[in-house]
Amino acid sequence: MYIVIAGGGRLGYLLAKKLQSDNHKLCIIDESLAVCEHLAEEFRGLLVINGDASDPEILTEAKVDKADVVVGATPFDEANIIICNIAKELFNVKRTVARVNNPKHLMLYKYMGVDVPVDSTSIIARIVEEEASFSDVMSLLSIKKGRLSIVRVDIPKESPVINKKLKDLKLPSNSVLISIIRGTEIIIPSGMTEILVDDEIIAATLIDSEKELIHSLIGKL
Amino acid sequence: MKYVVIVGCGQTGRNLALELSQSHNVVVIDKDKQALDVLGESFNGKTVVGDALNVEILESAGIQEAHALILLTGNDNFNLVIGKVARRKYGVEKVVLQVYEVKKKKLFSEEGLIIVNRTYLLVEVFKKCIL
Repeated sequence: MYIVIAGGGRLGYLLAKKLQSDNHKLCIIDESLAVCEHLAEEFRGLLVINGDASDPEILTEAKVDKADVVVGATPFDEANIIICNIAKELFNVKRTVARVNNPKHLMLYKYMGVDVPVDSTSIIARIVEEEASFSDVMSLLSIKKGRLSIVRVDIPKESPVINKKLKDLKLPSNSVLISIIRGTEIIIPSGMTEILVDDEIIAATLIDSEKELIHSLIGKL
Repeated sequence: MKYVVIVGCGQTGRNLALELSQSHNVVVIDKDKQALDVLGESFNGKTVVGDALNVEILESAGIQEAHALILLTGNDNFNLVIGKVARRKYGVEKVVLQVYEVKKKKLFSEEGLIIVNRTYLLVEVFKKCIL
């Protein structure tokens, strides 16, 4: 694929390293001459353009019309949004991905049609929350405006389901166990799978049945 | 009586706000409280301190009801993003914005945005004065 990255800071740099090792063709655009010189020395076969990536002429020079993906990786949300917007509407780029610097600006990314706004702050906050929490249950994802939720449940010693086979469990009807993580092993469960203490269970459930599901797996709320 | 939202309280924003507030409903947004304080007591409108890229701030300034939005921050991309969203998402009838880069003026003019470029204006005025 041909990928154009706007912004050669830490994110742009790491991304270029990774994508180049996967044999993608790359172009990086950055406003700083020093950054561009550094990138040009560091990478072989990388097109580096010194200029404002929200300037359509610079984007033309970067052959954005040939790009499969454009990445907005500058530290400025307004620049990332405009770059993706021009790439999409003027150059017909299929996929635009951007880093959201301030989570409060996320809505504007959506309104302006950026395909994948990556809100790193919120992602990190969720990971930190998960690592810091002592709770046995973690909500991983909610889909369809929160109606379907995917949760992770750690099976404690006092759980009523320990050493039971899945087929013998009474689970709420609108929920399903997707997988069981046991140490480093990932198990796709069948009716004969037994649940052991310290298993991590990933389950999907309608939001109305979430409490009931958790109750039946860990015995308390 | 029109409902006008102005983003950016620099020299132009301030003078415009003072004048328009005599006969219209005016709300001025700026991230810097001191810039808004300069409006003084003769300003007959509302002020909102905050980041206009945050839709909550735009909505608290009443963008949904605005007849006109005037964007005068010194940042082209900032003005363009908010201008486009105001047209598309909030259906603001008149969106006027300042853009320094002439190339962007051409690119975004078709979207129902009224784009004002200082250099272009000055060149036209000078031409008229001479010719």
